[in-house]
Amino acid sequence: MTTLEAPAKPVSPAKFVPGDFKSDLKPIWCPGCGDFGVVTAITRALANIARPPHEIAFVSGIGCSSRIPGYTTAYGFNTVHGRSLPIAQGIKLANPELLVLVASGDGDGFSIGGGHVAHAVRRNIDITYIVMDNQIYGLTKGQLSPTSSRGRKTVTSSFGSLEDPVNPLLYVMGYGASFVAQGTPADMTGLAKIIEEGIRFPGFAFINVQSPCVTYGLEDQQLKAHKTNMQSLEAMGHDASDRAKATELAREYGTKLYTGVLYRNPNPPTTYGQGVAERQEALKKLAVPRHEILNRFKPTH
Amino acid sequence: MSEDLIIGIAGSGGDGVVSAGESLITAAALEGYHCVMTKSFGSQIRGGEASCRLRLATRPVLNPNGPLDVAVALNWDDFRKFGAELAVEAATIVIYESSTGVAPDKLPLQGVKPTVVFSVPITEMAAQHAGTDKAKNIVIAGLLAGWFGIGRESMLAGIRKKFAKKGATVVEGNVRAFQAGLDFAAANPLPEDRRLSAPQSGGETKLLTDGNDMCAAAAIFAGCTFFGGYPITPSTEIMQFLEREIWKYGGTVLQAEDEIAGIGAVVGASFAGQKAMTATSGPGMSLKTEMLGLASLAELPLVCVNVQRGGPSTGMPTKAEQSDLYQAAFSAHGDCLRPVLAPTSVGDIFGVTVEAFNLAEYYQTPVIVLSDQEIAQRKETVDPIDTSKFEIINRRQPSGAELTNYARFKLTESGISPISHPGMVGGNYLAAGIEHSESGRPTASGEMHARMNEKRFNKFNPLKSRRDLFAVEGDPEAPIAMVSWGSVAGVAREALRLAQAEGLQVKLLVPQLLYPVAETVYQDFFASVQRGLFIEQSHQAQLYRIVRMHVDLPAQVKPFAKSGSNPILPTEVLEKLREMVVAIQSGQPQPEAIED
Repeated sequence: MTTLEAPAKPVSPAKFVPGDFKSDLKPIWCPGCGDFGVVTAITRALANIARPPHEIAFVSGIGCSSRIPGYTTAYGFNTVHGRSLPIAQGIKLANPELLVLVASGDGDGFSIGGGHVAHAVRRNIDITYIVMDNQIYGLTKGQLSPTSSRGRKTVTSSFGSLEDPVNPLLYVMGYGASFVAQGTPADMTGLAKIIEEGIRFPGFAFINVQSPCVTYGLEDQQLKAHKTNMQSLEAMGHDASDRAKATELAREYGTKLYTGVLYRNPNPPTTYGQGVAERQEALKKLAVPRHEILNRFKPTH
Repeated sequence: MSEDLIIGIAGSGGDGVVSAGESLITAAALEGYHCVMTKSFGSQIRGGEASCRLRLATRPVLNPNGPLDVAVALNWDDFRKFGAELAVEAATIVIYESSTGVAPDKLPLQGVKPTVVFSVPITEMAAQHAGTDKAKNIVIAGLLAGWFGIGRESMLAGIRKKFAKKGATVVEGNVRAFQAGLDFAAANPLPEDRRLSAPQSGGETKLLTDGNDMCAAAAIFAGCTFFGGYPITPSTEIMQFLEREIWKYGGTVLQAEDEIAGIGAVVGASFAGQKAMTATSGPGMSLKTEMLGLASLAELPLVCVNVQRGGPSTGMPTKAEQSDLYQAAFSAHGDCLRPVLAPTSVGDIFGVTVEAFNLAEYYQTPVIVLSDQEIAQRKETVDPIDTSKFEIINRRQPSGAELTNYARFKLTESGISPISHPGMVGGNYLAAGIEHSESGRPTASGEMHARMNEKRFNKFNPLKSRRDLFAVEGDPEAPIAMVSWGSVAGVAREALRLAQAEGLQVKLLVPQLLYPVAETVYQDFFASVQRGLFIEQSHQAQLYRIVRMHVDLPAQVKPFAKSGSNPILPTEVLEKLREMVVAIQSGQPQPEAIED
């Protein structure tokens, strides 16, 4: 085509299929693991988002769920247990153009990693935090998790857990999160949808995925039970902009399995990144050439 | 005339003790003198006791330690709280506030009778001439300018500038207060002329700053665009300097929620391709250990500054020590190696920090800079630094060809694999703390693990030949040697100066590269040596022990090590050197090498 010819149609944006985001690394997960569904849902969401894999940074900690980045074609980073949030935030601050995803589990995210949640929420850096919550420690073979129920018997609670579980939904709602959603691989369409919405949401987005452990999970925690028990928030007519109502529903974590968007702030606060960009722009003109930085140590009274 | 004066000033917080010191050191810098100033406070946030020590000289000041030539006490209770930090001897010229009511021959100093003592109505002079006793520091400046010939013109100019905004009356009042100090000194001359001679280097204006600010400035120069950290004494000023500056260069400073998150963000920023740094002290290093190991396994560049303080645990936050070397060299679990560099002064922390970034980028590794509280927080005059001398090194990125079937951890001859970062087409890879194959995929293969360990260690081999990271001073064939590092190297350098003045045949090795141990450098240095000392500020003599792990030292090379907050004096070291000379001359037999 020469420059004198007009194109026949407008050039369409890059088209991706979910397979473009799936790597050929064979997962270590047990057959039937909920995480298979999660990675599929993620690849579907990413296909719709249509950012190329090399522009995506997928960070995780340690656990079965944290293996996910390696099963995608994105730049992946399996970090250390409980510390994926600070690392992911560093990546996003260093290069705001990247799409940054974080995968975690109930232990990685709410036990050892629990201290970082508040700050990731309030800092509101534009990353998407997907936690695969299965109320048990799978990778290390069956220990108690912070979301395990009181009385639960596991290899580290032979006589029953003496603790009440953490409520991940209330946790993040309490810290003021602007996007909170929950899903299950039992509803793949719904799961892919909330992941996509979370990624698109400007700011910190939290997605709690009830992703059953087939090996150490309880009978009533498996996908079959999810199919029966799950209740679509949308179908219930839930108004996701109602923070109070969302908090009320969040309290029912553990007894109810609500799926969909629990809360989406209709007036999302500016992201940390926006603040940084504005500041960098405003202060740029004050920069002295780097090699002249020592001039500020010239003595004056 | 004097070539070298150590001045100590103490009083209550709010007395202007530190202001007086700042005026003096600024004047010294402007007039081309060499000066080092340290400050010391009680533990209260406000009020409490305050002091500063200045060592002013006509040639480079190697270390600030030593008994006072001049002591200025605004009140004796506060002065005495500083104990040995402000050591008064018989020869010390004592200047003190007369309204303390203390008689000049009855100074409350244990077992010391200074012969030259001035009781000065400092507060009264301030009130009388400037109308406020806040001008005490101005009076002190005048007294010192008068007796010791320091910076009269500079200080007057400083006074005029400082108070300009407050109007002519205030300016003139302070000028009169300064003059009152000069007049008192003129009317009460010292028994002998102790004014400073002209600076030996020709009086060129020097830079003036402290170690933390210089370190931060070096990071900017080196191209750092990300700092993540957490406040901890005595490192916080590094974060604060960068927080004022880095946005101008398109960078970010994140005061994270804790030490781990601070370095975590740095690891992330490095993964994303940025030059990134964190800074902390001992307790923070302990927390950061796991992240350092992750960065080592993932072969990610980063700079981690540890401004050492008294340890262990909470230790002594406002005192220097050199007891974190073991931790720097050995911290993270598993077989891994992180280079450790140590600056010796405010002047050289610039170059050391730039080098740290270069090593981090080149070797794709965390690099630890072991500064200490003294270097960090002392103000020092620094000869102007020619920044054009410094090379800036960036990480080796993959070429187009290397991005086809890109293997992030490719086993190369040098052990260094080209490193991509998110955003780079074709450079996608999985970074991990888990052991991996060349592609980055997790592995538990013993063979691959052994090869990767070899890669991660062998890549550092060229570092052990970096003789430019070692300074050897004195007679190269000397049978008596010293090794010293960090701020204590200044003490050793002064001891060398004193030894050479006595004609002793001594040499000194100052390593900036502490780890990995450059075996051949030490072997060559110790080839001529019969007796020697490793001089350092730690109970365990940590560098001595680490070097001995790798190098057979002559049996009579021993540690001279003290716990922090126990100043090591050049004269003490000189005494040991003299003993060694005598021992060699008297032909004492060399005992068998022993493990002590």
